[in-house]
Amino acid sequence: MISANKQIRAARYGMTIDVDRCNGCGACMVACSVENNVPPAHEGATDRKGLTWIRVYKVDNGEEYPNRRTAFVPVMCQHCGNETPCVHVCPQQAVDVDPSTGVVGEMPQRCLGCRYCMAACPYHARYFNWWDPAWPAGMEKTLNPGVTPRMRGVVEKCNLCHGRWHAAKEQAAAAGKPDTEPVSYVPACVEACPTGAIHFGDLNDASSATAKEAAEPDSFRLLEKLNTQPKIYYRSKKDWVRGIAAAPRPGGAGKENSRG
Amino acid sequence: MKTTRREIMLFAGGSAVGVLFTPAPWRLLTDTALWSENWPGIPAPARGEIRARYTNCSLCTAGCAVRARCVGDQPVALSGAGGHPLSHGALCAFGLAGHHLPYIPSRVKQGPVKEAAAAVADGIAKCGPAEYVVTLDLRPARTASWTYRRAMAAVKNGRYVTPAVDSSVAVDLSKARTVLSFGVPVLDGWGTPGNAIAARPGFRLIQAEPIESRTASMADQWLRIRPGSEDTLAQGLAGQIAHAAAAEGTGLAEREIAALAAQLEQNGPVLVLGSSRLESTGRTIVSRRETPVPAEWQKAAPVTDLASLPDGSVRVLIIDESAPGEYLPWKAIEKKLVADNPVVVALAWSREGYGRHAQHVLPVGVYPEVAGDIPPAIDSVAATFRLSVPLVPVPEACVKPEEFVAAAAGLPVTDTLRERADAIHKAARGTLFTYADTKSVELKDVKADDFWKALNAGGCWIDAPDDKAPAARLTTAVAELRPVEESDLPLVVVLSHELTPGSPILSKLYQESNLRLGPNCVALHPSCGLEDGAKAVFETLLGKCPVAVTLDAGIPPGLVQVSASPAVLDLCASGARAKVGRA
Repeated sequence: MISANKQIRAARYGMTIDVDRCNGCGACMVACSVENNVPPAHEGATDRKGLTWIRVYKVDNGEEYPNRRTAFVPVMCQHCGNETPCVHVCPQQAVDVDPSTGVVGEMPQRCLGCRYCMAACPYHARYFNWWDPAWPAGMEKTLNPGVTPRMRGVVEKCNLCHGRWHAAKEQAAAAGKPDTEPVSYVPACVEACPTGAIHFGDLNDASSATAKEAAEPDSFRLLEKLNTQPKIYYRSKKDWVRGIAAAPRPGGAGKENSRG
Repeated sequence: MKTTRREIMLFAGGSAVGVLFTPAPWRLLTDTALWSENWPGIPAPARGEIRARYTNCSLCTAGCAVRARCVGDQPVALSGAGGHPLSHGALCAFGLAGHHLPYIPSRVKQGPVKEAAAAVADGIAKCGPAEYVVTLDLRPARTASWTYRRAMAAVKNGRYVTPAVDSSVAVDLSKARTVLSFGVPVLDGWGTPGNAIAARPGFRLIQAEPIESRTASMADQWLRIRPGSEDTLAQGLAGQIAHAAAAEGTGLAEREIAALAAQLEQNGPVLVLGSSRLESTGRTIVSRRETPVPAEWQKAAPVTDLASLPDGSVRVLIIDESAPGEYLPWKAIEKKLVADNPVVVALAWSREGYGRHAQHVLPVGVYPEVAGDIPPAIDSVAATFRLSVPLVPVPEACVKPEEFVAAAAGLPVTDTLRERADAIHKAARGTLFTYADTKSVELKDVKADDFWKALNAGGCWIDAPDDKAPAARLTTAVAELRPVEESDLPLVVVLSHELTPGSPILSKLYQESNLRLGPNCVALHPSCGLEDGAKAVFETLLGKCPVAVTLDAGIPPGLVQVSASPAVLDLCASGARAKVGRA
């Protein structure tokens, strides 16, 4: 417990995702599910009812060959820093923004499953547990002890690997570091990305690579006009990719994406 | 004062409404869900000491270095081991969930081991002079492969058969300035993912294929050619046919082909993948020394391919499917079997492959249960030796494929991995790279026991660079696309090598999202007349199978993209004609 008179230096954890480097392999999605004990798909699950804390969308520029181009855009909770929509609508106070990290957290134990937050989220980054979480016999042995599996009937989403953050805090405390300083850790998707497209760090630390990348001219955020000030920054040198940031959902109005 | 019934009702109602304006009910409501935290249906993760163990992924020949986070001895998460000179800390989506494989629902858990051994012995005894005993090894150049070759040398009319893979040739991506790929997924599962990504800034990638794959979307230039016209394009670029003829055959503009030919001329060295018609230049393809083996192993059966066996000649066929590799269509195998009562044994952990056809399916250990070595990847210029280390115990019912084959041939079974490690140590060349400390040491400075210990703790022997390695040609190491077959069927098949049998968590990629094409799924242009998600029948000249339809505007009309599962590979290859009709 941090005493009230301590001066905590607040972090603002965020990411930069270089869309031009993402090849849509899906390693981030798998690593996220393994890390956060997200169960395999129920047989009735679809792209609408699935649980994917991070989802890679395939988008295209809408042109015909030879001008057709596609790109892959990983989308997770954007960890809105201003007027966070899901926090506002939750009747259960099950969603909050941690002032010491800037992470938008979800408390499934409080969640009633009303799904207001899903309706409010402009990024479609929240997922509802339609079924009891189930793993094939024996596979429950592979669950990560740092994360509690969630129950049916609650909403869940990316929390920037809160379990890893806790572990990093414990390690820092064990090493005798002051608990008022932000800790350094890496979420599972960042660690797993084989192309190094995703970077993570403290956006409040101007010297961090992530903060510098977020300030680059080719950096942008999704739906910036809403002024939710997400902490997930995207980067691309392609104008048409930057243009899709203003679309309500990556990939247009139909089925959200396609495959390569 | 007399209290009326009406006043009591008003008081109760007013209280009820008033309470809603206090925090009390809301706080209670907040906690009502707390009980479900320990819902009996939710598994509780095991607790224990967390430690790291190191191994190598054996799901493909990339053999990426793996760091396993374990609770006690049980791996709970896998990640790439950083600092590795070839895999560079990268691990693909399949490798990240490799620790789930022992628990997949479709796993073969029991099998008639004694009956199969008796049938094989009987088959060998009955083998006629023009008949063969064959071991089909889907992943050659392993230590187990040498056991098979020695076993087949010890058996009368024994043959060792592999898919067409030439392990003596390697691709050097770091030397290429231009890579021209005919449908080879250079950035999506080909070679060693980490190595291809690390080398990517150094070359210009030109991808020629009919559908914009992941590699095509990351390429500097994508050439959308007609399916089956790869060879025509290669001929045009090689100057064997006129650019105009190549343009007509491929659907590209004549100036595109001329510009491409000029590019290849000016921006060398050029590496050509997927076509042997065009020459790669500048030592981008070189011969690779073989990983040393004990001298006594050299008395082994030669490597042969299936096509060289006469039809109707295989009396006994043992298929080692324990290490995933290139799948040979069952139709091609079936015609090689003798007509009367052939013996077919599949050593497999899943029934989705040859287990569907074999008389005897024997269970085998799966990654990361069993120890085994991984042959060098196609993009590893130096020979390597690394072990997939057992992280969890193998079920008792499982057989060891090499022991089964050796026993059938009467070959004494020894600790072959250790023997080969000793042979490498005796050669005293190259370096040992250890994953825990990311250090390389000269092998000649390491004792034999320490070398073996290091290999079992996650380590990799990398051969010394061979600067005099001669340039070579890729003839069989990369599958070439075939011309479109003649038929009345309206669609042309483009295979998508999306999913090998893997963890159920991979459903995130195809069922719970649309990132990849799922098993038994086909992708068609929206103008095909079928609805998204419709149940359909996929039909080729060789047969039919049920599929689910996915509509994708990125698929040109007239093409059907199919996920290359064994059931589909039994029916077609890329370039085949097909029909997709409503079920």
